[in-house]
Amino acid sequence: MSDPASSVVSRAAALVEDRTLPAVRAWKEAHPDGLVVGYLPIYVPRPLIEAMGALPVAVFGGGDAIDIIRGDSYFQSYICHIPRSTVELGLCGDLDALDAVLFPSICDVIRNLGGMWRMLFPDKLSLYVDLPQNFDMAVGGKFYVHEMQRIAGELVKRGAKPLEPEALRQAIARENTRRAAIAELDLLRRTEPWRVKASEAYLVIRAGATLPAAEHEAMVREFLAAVRQREARPVDNVRVVLVGSFCEQPPFDLIRALERSGCDIVDDDFQLGLRMIDGDIPGDDDPIEALSRAYLERGRDTASRYIGDLVKGAGLIGRVKASHADGVIFAAASFCDPALLDQPMLEHALTKAGVPHTSFKFAENTGQFQVIREQAGAFSDAVKLWGAAS
Amino acid sequence: MQLSLGIDAGSSAIKVAVVKSNAGEDVELLATVVQRIRRRNVFDVVKATYEEACIRAKVDAKDLCYVASTGDVDAVEFATGHFYGMTTHARGALFLVPEARAVLDIGALHARAIRMDERGKVLGHRMTSQCASGTGQFLENIARYLGVPLEDVGQLSRDSGVKEEVSSVCAVLAETDVINMVSRGLTAGDILRGIHISIAGRLVRLLRSAGAEGMVALTGGLALDTGLVSVLCDQLSKEQNKAKKPLPPLTARSHELSLFAGAIGAGILGAYRHDQLAKRGRLGVVTAQLGGAA
Repeated sequence: MSDPASSVVSRAAALVEDRTLPAVRAWKEAHPDGLVVGYLPIYVPRPLIEAMGALPVAVFGGGDAIDIIRGDSYFQSYICHIPRSTVELGLCGDLDALDAVLFPSICDVIRNLGGMWRMLFPDKLSLYVDLPQNFDMAVGGKFYVHEMQRIAGELVKRGAKPLEPEALRQAIARENTRRAAIAELDLLRRTEPWRVKASEAYLVIRAGATLPAAEHEAMVREFLAAVRQREARPVDNVRVVLVGSFCEQPPFDLIRALERSGCDIVDDDFQLGLRMIDGDIPGDDDPIEALSRAYLERGRDTASRYIGDLVKGAGLIGRVKASHADGVIFAAASFCDPALLDQPMLEHALTKAGVPHTSFKFAENTGQFQVIREQAGAFSDAVKLWGAAS
Repeated sequence: MQLSLGIDAGSSAIKVAVVKSNAGEDVELLATVVQRIRRRNVFDVVKATYEEACIRAKVDAKDLCYVASTGDVDAVEFATGHFYGMTTHARGALFLVPEARAVLDIGALHARAIRMDERGKVLGHRMTSQCASGTGQFLENIARYLGVPLEDVGQLSRDSGVKEEVSSVCAVLAETDVINMVSRGLTAGDILRGIHISIAGRLVRLLRSAGAEGMVALTGGLALDTGLVSVLCDQLSKEQNKAKKPLPPLTARSHELSLFAGAIGAGILGAYRHDQLAKRGRLGVVTAQLGGAA
């Protein structure tokens, strides 16, 4: 019997693999007056952009599909890979469909990339998005509302529709339904990982990077319906949470290599921006304030988010428990400061809690996985047989 | 006592072992079967080998508590679970050579030195790099160029008294060396001996880099190559004389069932894992698959 999910997975894969953004170009043809607003990881308030008649597009670099020729000359050798491939994509014209690009405050490298973008593409709008690190609504919340209003103002200057509360409410509602569909998919992965491979879920979720929320929700729902029809059966694999890949994405074959090593990835932080907020964002009152409050109060723990007096790693241990995971794999991009500076603290917390863990680094264009396969296989077997990482 | 089955899906052959054990202890080997893949569909070969092993072991598939795969995970669609090759070779080698505390797995595409404890738990390992010049596939290619059947390689090499090495750095350079040797009129046996010396040197270095000590069990297809085993044992015994400082003792031993170490280890670990799942109340994960899904 053929796989009922093969069609939707193929469509998702095509969207992910085609770096010339065919869905975005199609959207632009259908909406000649609409702006296309790209953004770098991790998070920007997508409903704000959709509410202004624009299409938010997540930019995850060039992956392993592009040779870096000019991009390398803009960054030192000790800088991660995603800014190089993003510059390369820009210089190749692959990102020409983007009218504006937002650079969120995740790390210095993305900030610098924003500056370079402004110099390289002076005709395009390039905006730095300062996300709050103070989580008091009266301070950080107010700041973030002003920041969103500033972004909205800049987009209007470029031809976007003015921000209207009702349009924002509707966009928030569409984003809520998309996130609910993704949450349902994440739940299915945790309860029946043999039914949904993490690599497939990765493609289906990442395809949403270039789609309007409602269109992406439909795709996720179609995938969910299809995998529920599968004749799947349980496999005795090790359940792992994978963390560290919230910005630069690992090569797809690396995710497959981990699966082939006997790991069920039951939780991860791939494309974290699409799942950054837990639960629904209420849109009844002041919707822009609701967006701000949701980020402050229900934003996911990640390396670039200040957690004040809270204990580093507590959030991760909570995720391990919630997903009934046997262990954690740290998969951070080489030279990713936020992930790699956080890692020792997270490892310490896991060790203290008796959760087995292992770590490796990758670049988005890594082509050889033998060493990682060896490591993941040894980790998987050690956890499965001896209940420890080594 | 439980019945379990291990399937080692290698790049050139499928090996299956059926074992009876008490949660991976007190192991009795009931049957071993190997089938070369050649140009057949790998899924068909896996199924045929699995069925043949069940028949030879006089075991009904539905009585198996765990079907464990190792090697190519995608080739065995009906496995209960998968174990990594390193883990299964360690456990299988321990069954075949109980005093071993290290394993040298010499397969078709790579070689791997593994340190382990008395339970077969892997403590460390080293693997050959990308180049295939130290592996079975390379030797098989050379044997084919020389027109020598694989089963004759070991004896021809042992009969040779020549000590001429070929390059151990790269398969391309090694093949160039072989062409030169042929044009210089060396016999097939002398050439094969030279290749064995080269591969063995590489394997000894691999064992030392992995920190192996004591008895080394040889596994994988090349463990049955008597010419290579002879040269390897010889190099290990003479190694001390050449060393500037004393080295930890190393002795190597092959076993007639070395080829099945991965499959045997998978079968034993499957039974052990089944027992662990039962103790943790997680047997539900595997019960849905029992009954010979192939």
